[in-house]
Amino acid sequence: MKVNTIKNEKLGESYYEIKHPSGLTILVMCKPDYACTHAVFATKYGSIDTKIEENGVYREIPNGTAHFLEHKLFESEDIDAFERFAKTGAEANAFTSFDRTAYIFTCSDNFRQNLEILLDFVQSPYFTEETVKKEQGIIGQEIRMYKDVAGWEVMFNLLGALYHEHPVKVDIAGTVESIAEITAETLYGCYRNFYDLNNMLLAVAGSATLEDVLEVADRVLKKAGGKPANREFIREPATPVCRYIEEKLPVNVPRFMLGFKEDIKTPERSLKETVCVEIIHDVIAGKSSPLYKRMLEEGLINTGFSNEYFTGFGFACSFFGGDSNNPGKAAEEIRAEVQKFKQRGIGEKEFERARRKLYGRLVMMYDDVEEIAQNLVDAYLNGDGLFEEIEICAGLTVDDVNENLKEVLCDDNSALSVIMPLKGE
Amino acid sequence: MNEVKQVRIAEGADVCFVTANRFKTGKAHITMAMPLDGDIAAKAVLPFILRRSCRKYPDFTSLNGYLDELYGATLQAGVEKLGEAQLIKMSVGAIDDRFALDGGSVAEAAVGLLFDLFFDPKLENGMFTKADVDIEKRLLAERMMSELDDKRIYAQQKCVELMCGEEAFGKNRYGTLAEIESLTPERVYDAWQSVLKTAVIRIVAVGSSDTAEIEKMLVDRFTGIERSPSKITTKFIKKAEKVNYFSEEQPVKQGKLVMGFRTGMGAKEDYTSAMTVMSDIFGGGIYSKLFLNVREKMSLCYYCSSRLIREKGIMIVQSGIETKNEEKARNAILEQLDAMKSGDFKEETLKASLLSLNETLRAYGDSPDDICAWYSAQLLDEKLKTPEERAAEFNAVTFDEVADAARKITLDTVFMLTGTEAGGNEG
Repeated sequence: MKVNTIKNEKLGESYYEIKHPSGLTILVMCKPDYACTHAVFATKYGSIDTKIEENGVYREIPNGTAHFLEHKLFESEDIDAFERFAKTGAEANAFTSFDRTAYIFTCSDNFRQNLEILLDFVQSPYFTEETVKKEQGIIGQEIRMYKDVAGWEVMFNLLGALYHEHPVKVDIAGTVESIAEITAETLYGCYRNFYDLNNMLLAVAGSATLEDVLEVADRVLKKAGGKPANREFIREPATPVCRYIEEKLPVNVPRFMLGFKEDIKTPERSLKETVCVEIIHDVIAGKSSPLYKRMLEEGLINTGFSNEYFTGFGFACSFFGGDSNNPGKAAEEIRAEVQKFKQRGIGEKEFERARRKLYGRLVMMYDDVEEIAQNLVDAYLNGDGLFEEIEICAGLTVDDVNENLKEVLCDDNSALSVIMPLKGE
Repeated sequence: MNEVKQVRIAEGADVCFVTANRFKTGKAHITMAMPLDGDIAAKAVLPFILRRSCRKYPDFTSLNGYLDELYGATLQAGVEKLGEAQLIKMSVGAIDDRFALDGGSVAEAAVGLLFDLFFDPKLENGMFTKADVDIEKRLLAERMMSELDDKRIYAQQKCVELMCGEEAFGKNRYGTLAEIESLTPERVYDAWQSVLKTAVIRIVAVGSSDTAEIEKMLVDRFTGIERSPSKITTKFIKKAEKVNYFSEEQPVKQGKLVMGFRTGMGAKEDYTSAMTVMSDIFGGGIYSKLFLNVREKMSLCYYCSSRLIREKGIMIVQSGIETKNEEKARNAILEQLDAMKSGDFKEETLKASLLSLNETLRAYGDSPDDICAWYSAQLLDEKLKTPEERAAEFNAVTFDEVADAARKITLDTVFMLTGTEAGGNEG
């Protein structure tokens, strides 16, 4: 078993990368002067994985299955994972996103015992028709809850307006109808396909040592026989489904999200592209941009206005949004500003300011063991090393950014999603 | 966790230093406590006005540009409630000097900026400008409205407002919409002056910076300010006389049930650690009665939890449920409380709760922000307590003390936000 050490002198940090004989990749960053350790056991299986590949043929599975499976994995034939963690005091949880399912815990004591529980319960599926039924009630309420959250609705409506085919437009938890189709057999099938250790990753950051991690891994990991699951690259049309979508909810303040979809030819964005877009966003719409000041003074936004580069396997878009008393006018101003920058390019000074900010924020990230572990997972799933982002940021030039600006933020590929208050309620 | 050094700066104002080299970020928080009455809206808008600009960086864009140059230093403003105190907060965070690309002291510049914002704001003819006040009052009103658009927060605030209608605690920490809309530069200026003179103030700084330098900066800033700190008290009601029930209909997909309880505290001093443990076993973690029964066994909800607000002596239970299950959920919650009262909970659940509380406390030392928050929250207490000292208090709590604490609890107010047919009940 080979242990690679990856170091960054400037940050004074290092981590280990191990390809375990079981097939699992393990990443460990030791922070001996911290009290806590955060561990993430993740699989490359999220809400966008709506199909299972069998001999080159893709078969559909119900929407929301990844999330449903995440809930059910905590149960076992004898003692549930939550009960086991209650005995150690660890704070354990799990989440499902577009491209992954992650099982996590944080603890300061009993690390080995906690890691053993984590690795063991995720490797021990136990589903019955009865327990599946019970979960449909709990998840049904989770789905309902999000339907009342304006920030959630505005984003999924936007994804629906932008994407024709890609499953990123599907709600992570599915719908009450789609989860009703899930059976114990569905869950076992998905488990076999996506929970192979070759498709998974363990990331640990904090006070635990490499010996702690490996001792438990050697003992508890069961050798995997399979291979990583394949994802189908769905090539989307460049243009959106529609340019505008609106929903009415019982809220006081209207909300909007403007999205620019990228016409991508390969499924994943490189780290350099991501860093470039983040800087572009900050120059155009960050807190010290002229656009931000102008819209704030004109009453078009408030300090909740933000932006995000939203990417994953087969999708990439730029989001700008927040509260607004005039979403149409706000979107118009953002679109005009984007056009202006696309024509004139980004200046050296603007670039340098945004780059310094990004650099500082990347340094700050290394204070938080949870963020480090999550970033180890992010970087690995993207095929990058953890320290590459800060190195790219330090070496980036304004020409790199202007080159990238030509490829992104095309007005023809944009759509606006708006939540308006229900009147007369 | 590292040792804390507390230094008095002026009457009712002190600074707490926690020196630590393990972080890449330095943090400083200023917290100012005032009674939750008077011109609440003016005090609420104050930190946001001060966060906009200062004499040195007189506009929002130049100030934010300076923060970017300081490697993305963070600057935050906020308002909170601590019992019946209104807390006005500002904080700054910056990377440690050793990571600066071109040398220079980032941390000291950032702390200096925070003090500039607070003590040396942008004034014209000795007054905040109308333009700044107008923008910030719109933003404050939107902040309040937007927060209430979250139905979970709305239902909880509504329950507290109805339950504590006769107490200051029932007030919104931002004031009322009418109070915000009528704000003037004069009122904001008066609020600033009264905060400078009468607020109980604590600064907490975490990092590797020179503490003597920060202390000197602070002493200089307070020189010439005549301080007479307000006495801040909170009204406690030991017991609910009867249960008040309220409901409201909105076209939402999920109903929200909120139950407010009195916890038998007649004063701040009546607080016992057993009450925190009791609330945690009842509805805190994944081992709690509410999680295991109302969610896991009965499948009624995705969340059902309880939270003790010790500074006010009340406990709040919340759950998101199907409207038609309201009675079932309410009865189930009260049944679990009765079980707590009769000592019907497991010794091992008490153990689980103590382990979890200990874990939470140990985590504070791993984050500069959490360390700041820990000592800031104690600004009205006689003596500073470390997380370790709090942990020792929890660990001394016995099974019988938890059951005793449960027996002091009485239900005061129930608020139910119900979904209408238009919004939900399909599927």
